[in-house]
Amino acid sequence: MNARETAWRLFSSELNSATYEIKGTDEKSPSYVVTHLGAMVNRVLVAGVLTEKENVGSEDEPMWRGRIQDVSSGNFYINIGRYQPEAAAAIADIEAPEYVAVVGKVRTYTTNDERVFVSIRPERIVKIDEDTRKLWMLEAAQATWSRLNAMKKATSIADASEKDLVDAGFSEMNAKGIVTALDQYGIPNSAMFLKTIQSALRTILPDSNIDLGLPEDMSDVPEELDIEPGASGQNNADMEDTILRLLDELDADGKGAPRDELERRAEAEGISSMELEEVSNALMDKGLVYEPNLRYLKRI
Amino acid sequence: MNDEELTPLFEELKKVLEGKVDDETLMGEIRKYVNSYGIDPSRAKRAIIKKYDAGASAGFVTADAISKKIADLTGSEMNIDVTAKAIYVDKKEISVRGNKKTIISGILGDETGSCPFTIWEGDSADLVKGDTYIFKNAYTKTWNNRVQINLGTRGRVEKTDASVNVPDRTITAESREMKIGEIKDGVGNVTVTGRILSVEERHITAKGEPKTVYSGLIADDTGKIQYSAWNDFSLKEGETICAKNAYIRSWKGIPQLNLGDRCEVSRVDDNFGQIEEAPTQKTIADIVRIGGALDVSVSGTVVDIRAGSGLIKRCPECKRSILNDECTTHGKVEPVFDLRMKLIVDDGTGALSTIVNCADTEKLTGITLENAEQLAKARGDMDSVSREMAQMMIMKRITVRGNVMSDEYGPMMIVHDAEIDTVDVTAEAEKLYKELEGAL
Repeated sequence: MNARETAWRLFSSELNSATYEIKGTDEKSPSYVVTHLGAMVNRVLVAGVLTEKENVGSEDEPMWRGRIQDVSSGNFYINIGRYQPEAAAAIADIEAPEYVAVVGKVRTYTTNDERVFVSIRPERIVKIDEDTRKLWMLEAAQATWSRLNAMKKATSIADASEKDLVDAGFSEMNAKGIVTALDQYGIPNSAMFLKTIQSALRTILPDSNIDLGLPEDMSDVPEELDIEPGASGQNNADMEDTILRLLDELDADGKGAPRDELERRAEAEGISSMELEEVSNALMDKGLVYEPNLRYLKRI
Repeated sequence: MNDEELTPLFEELKKVLEGKVDDETLMGEIRKYVNSYGIDPSRAKRAIIKKYDAGASAGFVTADAISKKIADLTGSEMNIDVTAKAIYVDKKEISVRGNKKTIISGILGDETGSCPFTIWEGDSADLVKGDTYIFKNAYTKTWNNRVQINLGTRGRVEKTDASVNVPDRTITAESREMKIGEIKDGVGNVTVTGRILSVEERHITAKGEPKTVYSGLIADDTGKIQYSAWNDFSLKEGETICAKNAYIRSWKGIPQLNLGDRCEVSRVDDNFGQIEEAPTQKTIADIVRIGGALDVSVSGTVVDIRAGSGLIKRCPECKRSILNDECTTHGKVEPVFDLRMKLIVDDGTGALSTIVNCADTEKLTGITLENAEQLAKARGDMDSVSREMAQMMIMKRITVRGNVMSDEYGPMMIVHDAEIDTVDVTAEAEKLYKELEGAL
């Protein structure tokens, strides 16, 4: 059957930490990005704040890039080209910052050093109001929680095969996703996903003092950053100082430091690119740096 | 190859040909095929069998066919022999690209199981229910996860005296007790308890004879299903029955319950309470699993609006939608305007195509047909209506109610009623928080 793919509701922390893709071989077998929680994602439904948009194409043939922040400091990366005419027409009329929702297909991009980035190619992008944004957060939180529970149930069956899971009541798609995720990533770090759910609930219920008893200093970013080969073992404070110093040095014309240059210099200082990403996120959270656009980082 | 190497082939052929050829001639033939002409041994084997045994077997294909029991069939056999008892036989005429053709279909059973079959050249054969047959050079396919035996032009069917013991359970195909909401295509025989919501009498012609069929809706607390009773069980609206040995056939993915010759109907107590008022609430994954559904409601988010939505033109004669004021059947016509939306509704478990009629489109968008015509006129562009609707509908949570059919592009609902949902986000978030607190 050629049925339309489901639009998954998931937070950027789950989507962006995915590195494994099941590649489709032809038109009829689509590609899926498999997340740590076993979602087999071909299409997504996401919402948040469009924080920036940039036309990196031309006036006649626009190619839009943008980021949408969902909860805490998480971002979805979107790319709209000429094969997404509805979305291209729609984004031209949306000014950042604005609440938006996006339905689109996921794409992966692998860098030379084997890092995988996931972006979204929107089929539709629409302005939404704050209530709709909260509704999306709720749906994404519910879906994340139900995937966590499914994962828990699946891992309680020792060495479960896809067939074992189907027999235990999982759909074929979920069984395949979960088995693939466990093969590729091992048992997921549930605290990271719970933390995202907690952030979402805090946004929806600002007066309820939401506390799931998770360690507050724990980072929202994926756990595998800690075990990334080539991690320098430097402590965060040292790395933050180094990055701030590099930003000053590289900001020659007031536009900020070019990302690629910053990455090279950081590498030379013994800071891996994954660590750089983590540290710059932390600095952004502290309000010490910002991104004037996607390719630059600048001190405030 | 020397004679020693050719011996296995010789022995095999000798056995197959059962003395129809003397040893010397046979060895001579083998040497000629294999050594003089360089034919590979397996091809030579077929050729020699064909040459000396043509009368008894249907040529080269027979030699390669292997015999299998029904339970061992995988659905991808290209050439097999199956010996089995005809449990059910139906000879009928179908039309293939305008030509009449007779086929025989039914169910075969052996010690290991049962499966449906079709003989595509039905003129040449006659099967009797209860007799045992060899299906030679048949092929198999799977349909709805069930293996089917097919006999094409290469195949033959022969009656045999071989005894095949079909256990009783395969003949009755074991009637399973099922809830109506769980019934899907391919479940076979079922026992269902439900309340008759409606009865309608229809007069049809079956196999050349007039027949009265009673049909309508039957429901339990999990769903509704259309039924057809092929005998008069004097069904009455409002009564609750238990139908044993009913069978399921599907139409466009919607399962239908048939009360056939072997069905037993009894009146039972009704424990359902109020069931028939509201449509059954389902997730899209549920519907996809079953293939279709009758009178269900689905809640989800509108994720896309497809081409052909908004203000459209229809042929005044046949009501089909037309482009450029020209109907494919009625030529140049004076079109009538209509409103509709083709929305994709996604609930996170799957995606459902829906077609929303004029009245519900007006209700959901607040744009009336009259407004739409004015808008299109003012902007000189019919598509402006659908763009307007896209902005209003995408990302809205809606509940749609109707019947769902399936084809190769997935499930589709003809919507009878639609509403914008209001979700109490705060209450739902608090509920989720409680659940998390309880679990952690």
